[in-house]
Amino acid sequence: MSEVVVENLTKKFGNNVVLDNIDLKIDAKEYFVLLGPSGSGKTTLLRLIAGLEEITAGSIYIAGKKVNDMLPKERNVAMVFQNYALYPHLNVYENISLPLKVRHLGPEKVKEKVKTVAETLHIEDLLQKKPKQISGGQQQRVALARALVRDPSVFLLDEPLSNLDAKLRVEARVFLKKLQKELGITTIFVTHDQAEASTMATKIAVLNKGAITQVDNPYDLYRRPNDVFTASFVGSPAMNLVRGVIRRAISGNAWTFSNEDISVSLKDIKLDADGLEVFMGIRPEHVRVVERGKGGIDSTVSVVEPLGSVTYVTVNVGKTQLILQYPGEIKLDMGSSIKIQLDPEGLLLYAVDTGKRLAIDE
Amino acid sequence: MKAMTVVVIILLTIVSLVYIFPIYWTLVTAVKTSLQIFTYPPIFFPTRFTLSNFYTAGNIFGAVSQTAVGSVPWMIDSTIVAIIATLASTFLIAAPAAYSLVRYIKSVWLGRLILFMTMIPEAVFMVPFFLIVVKINLLNTWWGLILVYISFTAPFATWLLMGFFNDIPKSVEEAAEIDGLSPYQIFYRISLRLVIPGIIAALILNFISCWNELLYALILTYSPFPAGAQTVPLFLTSFIIVEKSFAWGGLAAAGIFTMLPTIILGIYAQKYLARGLTMGAVKG
Ligand SMILES: Nc1ncnc2c1ncn2[C@@H]1O[C@H](COP(=O)(O)OP(=O)(O)OP(=O)(O)O)[C@@H](O)[C@H]1O
Ligand SMILES: [Mg+2]
Repeated sequence: MSEVVVENLTKKFGNNVVLDNIDLKIDAKEYFVLLGPSGSGKTTLLRLIAGLEEITAGSIYIAGKKVNDMLPKERNVAMVFQNYALYPHLNVYENISLPLKVRHLGPEKVKEKVKTVAETLHIEDLLQKKPKQISGGQQQRVALARALVRDPSVFLLDEPLSNLDAKLRVEARVFLKKLQKELGITTIFVTHDQAEASTMATKIAVLNKGAITQVDNPYDLYRRPNDVFTASFVGSPAMNLVRGVIRRAISGNAWTFSNEDISVSLKDIKLDADGLEVFMGIRPEHVRVVERGKGGIDSTVSVVEPLGSVTYVTVNVGKTQLILQYPGEIKLDMGSSIKIQLDPEGLLLYAVDTGKRLAIDE
Repeated sequence: MKAMTVVVIILLTIVSLVYIFPIYWTLVTAVKTSLQIFTYPPIFFPTRFTLSNFYTAGNIFGAVSQTAVGSVPWMIDSTIVAIIATLASTFLIAAPAAYSLVRYIKSVWLGRLILFMTMIPEAVFMVPFFLIVVKINLLNTWWGLILVYISFTAPFATWLLMGFFNDIPKSVEEAAEIDGLSPYQIFYRISLRLVIPGIIAALILNFISCWNELLYALILTYSPFPAGAQTVPLFLTSFIIVEKSFAWGGLAAAGIFTMLPTIILGIYAQKYLARGLTMGAVKG
């Protein structure tokens, strides 16, 4: 089947290194998500795989074949462009059917395939309209239909759901995932929406400034981000990162993390890290509100964001700010004091100098 | 702001008058009697009109030796030469050249060189073109004129279309590439369709230049259809030398008649023309 392998891939525009020595292995039938902030090189990577940009260094293999020097049409990939790139002079039906027609599919077969894909994407009423006459979200679905109507070896989807409203987006996610499972076609999906990434991916690669910071399944990526960037980028609201120093007690194996506001005792650390400057990372759901009289850290409420099922509360401990997730509703006044507790299970430590996670329990 | 607008309107009015006056003068001359035509001071606003310049006793355009039937051979030559030269120069040369310059060669200098070519006075090439046309035995034929007109109209049309091709979003062509279209299919099925307004502008401008061209028609042809290929502007010159006199009334009437195709085209395609020309003007 069609696995995609990227080896030592570098892409420069002039002197601007946009992708820096990237290695990736995307298994056949995988739903692979590229996640990264704007400008991190996601689109560039897709375009390199598609054959729309020339490789500066390194190699790309699709289904075991080196494709560096192949034209896009020889690579047999289907792509949804970030800006849709529909054919403005053709109506929706002609847009979707063009890839089939140039492959000399019979007219009956073309009609049937277009009809099916148009129905699944709810655009069957738009077939006679020109791209200019339909909304952005509708255009996006047409672009998706044009890619899905084919039978490529790889799907390359560049933020194909970014312009859909919340309801349609969830629907399209489910539909895409189901379709991908049915067809078993390797899919590379670009997004900067972390929720979208987690719900769809079998594997996620996080891209930052042209380098891969981590490739993992959604669960592990969320639980154990490898570095400060990934930790702060994956998850919403972002993981709390508190700067401080870790120290070993004079006697015994007890470690503490502390700064001028907070002091937290840590599990055993089997590292030579006494006095190391670190960021302590903790997700909002691991910061708990403690009932009165049961200990905990004093904090002052500064922002309350009720979302219905959960409530996000931003609190200040001295100058240190933390955001916590409270399950359900909670009534709090701004400026009131509450006690909080940090769940030791959710604590992660990152070295300030390298940005890398400390392997404290491995 | 308001004073500015007034100044602009006044300037535009002056410019328009300069352009409109010859047409107006032709129009009123065509409806004057020969007595009125030669009156001094000239009559700018005639109050009595005659149609005798257009038709007198079986003679169209009032001239002594020209009849309606007489103008037909020149019309045939002009129509055929202008249409073939226009189509060939636009579709066979300008469109493919503009597309490859914009998408493949990407040389700004070559683009400027082409624009520069359009500024060279055509008379410069009179001798070489005459010799070439004689050498290849195309003197006094449609094909001789057509070849020359193609070479005069293609550079401007190319430059005009480059602006339009430049405006096509690149991703549309990339999508076509991924969808499996060959470079030729992308050009023909996608890009060419997206520059249709530019194509129309180029066709019309080319047609008008071919229709109005006098100098090369004069040196490369010497008789009209069917023996030769003299075009309409030469038909008009015949009014000036006919019988040692100047048949101004007939000339004006015939002038209006032969102007009609270009005026109708111009009006019909005004929006494309305006868009085509401003587009070209903005792009370098
Ligand atoms: N054709 C190009 N020429 C020069 N620089 C480019 C080109 N294409 C992209 N870049 C640069 O490469 C970097 C990565 O761009 P890219 O479009 O891949 O980012 P992205 O991750 O897709 O961002 P977004 O989420 O905003 O779409 C950017 O800094 C951009 O300026
Ligand atoms: Mg992008």
